[in-house]
Amino acid sequence: MSSAPVISLDRVTFRFGQFVALADVSLHIGMGQRVALVGSSGAGKSTLIRLMNGTLQPTQGEIRAFGQELSQLKPQRLRQIQRQIGTIYQQLHLVDNLRVIHNVNAGHLGRWSFWKALISLVVPLDLPTATNALTQVGILEKLYERTDRLSGGQQQRVAIARVLVQDPLVILADEPISSLDPQLSRDVMELLCQICEPSNRSLVVSLHNIEFALRYCDRIIALRHGRLLFDAPTGSVSNEMIADLYRL
Amino acid sequence: MTKPASRFFIAPSLLWGLVGLAAIALSLWQAGLFRQAVFNLNGFPLLWRFVVASVHPDVSRNLLDITLRASLVTLAYAVCGTFFSVVIGAVAGVFCSEVWWLEVLQANHFRYAGFQIIRALLAFPRAIHELIWGLFFLNIWGLDPLVAVVAIAIPFGAITAKVFSEILDETPRQPLLALINSGVAPLAAFLYTLLPQAFLNLLSYSFYRFECSIRAAAVLGIIGAGGLGYEILLSLQSLRYEQLWTFFYALFFLNGCVDFASAALRTQLGCASRIDLNAHHPPSRNRQNSHRIFGLFPIAIAGVALSFWYIQPDFSKVWSPRSQQLFNQIVQASLPLDFSALPHLMPLSLETVAMSVLAIAIAAIGGLLLAFPATQNFFLLSRVLNRYRGDRLLPHVMLATARIVLLLCRAIPAPIWALVALYVLFPGILPGAVGLGLHNLGILGRLFAEVIENLEQPPLEALKAGGAPDSLVFLYGVLPLTMPRFLAYTLYRWEVCMRETVIVGLVGAGGLGRALTEQLSSFDYPSLGVTLSAFLVLTFLVDWISATVRRSLRASS
Repeated sequence: MSSAPVISLDRVTFRFGQFVALADVSLHIGMGQRVALVGSSGAGKSTLIRLMNGTLQPTQGEIRAFGQELSQLKPQRLRQIQRQIGTIYQQLHLVDNLRVIHNVNAGHLGRWSFWKALISLVVPLDLPTATNALTQVGILEKLYERTDRLSGGQQQRVAIARVLVQDPLVILADEPISSLDPQLSRDVMELLCQICEPSNRSLVVSLHNIEFALRYCDRIIALRHGRLLFDAPTGSVSNEMIADLYRL
Repeated sequence: MTKPASRFFIAPSLLWGLVGLAAIALSLWQAGLFRQAVFNLNGFPLLWRFVVASVHPDVSRNLLDITLRASLVTLAYAVCGTFFSVVIGAVAGVFCSEVWWLEVLQANHFRYAGFQIIRALLAFPRAIHELIWGLFFLNIWGLDPLVAVVAIAIPFGAITAKVFSEILDETPRQPLLALINSGVAPLAAFLYTLLPQAFLNLLSYSFYRFECSIRAAAVLGIIGAGGLGYEILLSLQSLRYEQLWTFFYALFFLNGCVDFASAALRTQLGCASRIDLNAHHPPSRNRQNSHRIFGLFPIAIAGVALSFWYIQPDFSKVWSPRSQQLFNQIVQASLPLDFSALPHLMPLSLETVAMSVLAIAIAAIGGLLLAFPATQNFFLLSRVLNRYRGDRLLPHVMLATARIVLLLCRAIPAPIWALVALYVLFPGILPGAVGLGLHNLGILGRLFAEVIENLEQPPLEALKAGGAPDSLVFLYGVLPLTMPRFLAYTLYRWEVCMRETVIVGLVGAGGLGRALTEQLSSFDYPSLGVTLSAFLVLTFLVDWISATVRRSLRASS
């Protein structure tokens, strides 16, 4: 199925002070894979995603993205790698008081020069890309709206549109549906699959809800108390394994 | 509010920014820039002597004794002034809060009008600067510590009342209504819900008032009330710069201690910022620590008692026949008002507004430049900028330098800065604006730094994770998130600058302030009444503009 892994973790441990958030985790994400990260809150899912996109650095072990070890890279080179990794966050992480167009255009910031970015804040540039992305997520009419006037579901779509504009090889999504109702959750999951499938992007999505994981992903990685519990293709995940995951 | 529907939509912040730039340009013209010489080159040697003296202040035993006593006097004025302003603020604040009238008194329309009148009346004591109050009471009570204490207590009490009432009104009302609806007497319900909910915010603001009182006490020294301000003025006038710097450092130390203690307390209480202009006052978190605060009360009471004992204000003067006689004389002397000077007031009013605009421009630009290096989390600890901090010395040095400069700026009273500026600038509104600007720069820079310290990190982290370089994280994240607050603080401080034009008027910096202080000290009460009215009108006008701009910014940008 996969050639060289896009992202790989080798015996990664991460501690916040004394607290061990992740312990000795090794895994590889292949090109075009759709991977679900599951586990109860505090299992280390968000930490894992932040390690994968280079926001955090492991206490021990190494993380490679596209063959490069992230902690060894100079800032400039790290940013080049990070452009290929798009992240969608649980708490949206949008700049509230900017208009939607600017939050979407923020996907360009890894490539744009300072001056281009500055001019775009006054007269938005590269409209076709932004309108295209917003059309894909279905909220084109919100293009010039202020971001904090949008509903939670709409803001989630803005975050997805930003990643579309960024056009990365990997999309990481941290609990993208945790605050949405079931119908909206299905829409967002389908949208994520749609934008990954044709371009053979890899998708890593952390989910609270195991049903969604089984339904939309082809591989499940389960974390429990910061440790890897299992890592298996969706078809071979049994009810016992799931029961074990949420056992106290 | 209109829907921003086009690509070329101009944000109100940009629009108001352009209006602001125009106002600054006009004010510069009014100040005589481009029209006449503004720099007095002959004064530079004197300025140099002043600067050089900063490295060898006078540390003789005798002067240190004087410094200590003067510092204690200033501190005691501030403590007593704050005490009264908080008492006034607590009582008047409750009576001026909407929630008290609507929910507790369950006021009808008629009574509600009464509430609005009371609230509007409070604007008058607030609009008159403590220095004017000081000069006024000086004429009645003579040189007595009472003058300084009351001069602080009246305007600060009115401001505290306004802020307290706003805090009470913005505290969630549901718990109060729940109790009232279940038959609890309104007053008891008020004491059991709203007051404890709002208590930490009220306390936090009281401490901010104390910081302001220290600065006010120093200014009041200049009119002869004693303390550090008085000593500074004496040394400055006799050109004893070494002594001057000793007093400066004392003021610096005093302000630093109070700011530090107040910040530490706020952290304990879980109150993020001194004054939150943009948002509501959510009930503070971190409740488990709050009971410790009650341990501070005995200390506070002891402090207040000691302060009163140390300065011994003569309260009998308040009701003494002599004071009443003098007061009646002043009232009689000021009637009928003398409107003959009215035509002269127009250019003076323009000067005053121009001075306030220039002052706030200096303060905002300087504050902005210093605020970022003065912030703990920006260059130093941040995960956001500087992931690879190879050289950790530089940020530390920048942090310390920026904070010291800000503290020095706000510790020294504006009229003193104005006098220093007069060495190298020709008299006019420019030295006044520079003085006010430098002083407010220190305050504004500190408020800005607090905004940056409380910046939401997640949106920045998201930009960073997408590979945006630091400069663009700043442009698309930091700037839009902080700018609205910066503007709100700047506008708020502009209102303060407007009132403070009076105190630089004291040293001859022009405008209505100069006319006011001259009329006060020459007992020209008929003209004083007119000038004061003009000043009040101007103050309310500036408040109104500032409030309008703030509202428009809050609604849309």
